[in-house]
Amino acid sequence: MSFIARIVASKIFALTLLAGVGVYLLIIPAFTGQLGANPIERLLHVSGEIAIWTLGAVLSLTPLRVLYPRSAIVNALNRHRRWIGVSACIYGLVHFSCHVLYQGDWDDLLQSFTKPFTWFGLTGLSILVLLALTSNNWAVRKLGGKRWKLLHRLAYLAAAVLIFHQSIAGKGHWYIARWLLGILVLLEGARIAKKAWPSSAKSP
Amino acid sequence: MHIQKKYSWQLPDSAVTPESHHMRRREFLKTCGLGLAVGAFVPNMARGATFGFPDSLNPSDTLPGVKLTPYSDITGYNNFYEWGLDKGDPKVNANKGWKTEPWTIEIGGLCRKPAKYDVNDLVRTIGGIEQRNYRHRCVEAWSMVIPWDGFALSKLVTMAEPQTEAKYLRFTSFLDPKNCPGQQTHDFPWPYTEGLTLPEATNELAFLATGIYGKPLLNQNGAPIRLVVPWKYGFKGAKSLVRIDFVAEQPATLWNQMAPDEYGFYANVNPEVDHPRWSQKTERVIGAGFFGSRQPTLRFNGYEKEVADLYKGLDLRKNF
Repeated sequence: MSFIARIVASKIFALTLLAGVGVYLLIIPAFTGQLGANPIERLLHVSGEIAIWTLGAVLSLTPLRVLYPRSAIVNALNRHRRWIGVSACIYGLVHFSCHVLYQGDWDDLLQSFTKPFTWFGLTGLSILVLLALTSNNWAVRKLGGKRWKLLHRLAYLAAAVLIFHQSIAGKGHWYIARWLLGILVLLEGARIAKKAWPSSAKSP
Repeated sequence: MHIQKKYSWQLPDSAVTPESHHMRRREFLKTCGLGLAVGAFVPNMARGATFGFPDSLNPSDTLPGVKLTPYSDITGYNNFYEWGLDKGDPKVNANKGWKTEPWTIEIGGLCRKPAKYDVNDLVRTIGGIEQRNYRHRCVEAWSMVIPWDGFALSKLVTMAEPQTEAKYLRFTSFLDPKNCPGQQTHDFPWPYTEGLTLPEATNELAFLATGIYGKPLLNQNGAPIRLVVPWKYGFKGAKSLVRIDFVAEQPATLWNQMAPDEYGFYANVNPEVDHPRWSQKTERVIGAGFFGSRQPTLRFNGYEKEVADLYKGLDLRKNF
């Protein structure tokens, strides 16, 4: 294992990076007054962005492993699947908390729950919470590998619902969501292609 | 003597000067001498229409307790997609050498006096500018109170002498994909267009702004000249205008083309008609800080008395 791969594989590296994104983009700006004219809206948008890109990151790990099975860095990254997934859920919960704060009171919060836009976000977040709660070894043992794997395929559903949620979130935010969708579709496509034609390299 | 009429939308100067401005004044006195030196190093913010400043705000006491939004928020929190999707983008991207002076605006279409004007000449021809404090309600459910400098749109309409077939006005923003990054993408049908009915345009509230807080508009706010329609959602206020046309048919507008179910042609502020994705009943006040609460949104953004007659017999739920 190369030096870089060894660093990437370390738990401290992974946790520093995952928490660091939040510290750098949410906490430091909040305490230094860098959130601009509408601070909670800023936190709301940024936390949502972090959550969905983190979810995108964990979903890209399997295709990357299939595509580059011998890459030391890809394998190192794959050791952190659980923590990346749990981080996506935590940032999602931060995002939801910001939504509650942004609405300000019960009336406005209840109003927001009447919008399909909110339902998509909540559906995705509920899945992430369920997956985070069953991400520990105990749950894997309890459910059995097969059922656990099946359950955790829901991550794809969460991604689909959340990318849709993000794509309709802003007047122009689709232009951000489509990048994530594009990358994931590309990776999944390559993974499926490689599985369907595994020996394309060997065949004449 | 110059006698000024008081309108209900003219907020009192005294009630609205933000504290930060008092503080700034004090600081200014302290560093008076230094100020002159610093002036030479002010960043190169291209200024638009400079004619008519300083102008004056008519004092009035009809809306007590309303606080003006700080200048830094008005000039740092902008929806101006030509210069980026993030609200902090326009302040940066629109000030990388983009020139808004000199600037030509063309008045055309179904009118007897079509003409091209340099913006400063237009202000001169109209007879100068005045300051008005207007509520500003964004369709995204946040609000500001902005002291605009400019002139009533009705003056321009009168000057252009619309023909009888003219039923609408179409406002067109600049198209400069070479210098404007947002316009290099095909995500929006540039240039930005907006529209008003002729009766809306001749309502005394409809305004063409050339400044904010007694200073020429900055690029991020739509320099050198932009539309302000305070009883409608902010997106109606097309920025950096290059054309105003009198037309017979309801003009296509950018946001209405993008998402007709979300952004109607009228776009009157209406707490009873929700946006598909959020409620319009309340609004977050910009500048109120981290824990600032929401305030109820008013019908026609508080200008019901002045504009409700324009929509008599119109179903405002359908014609949102």
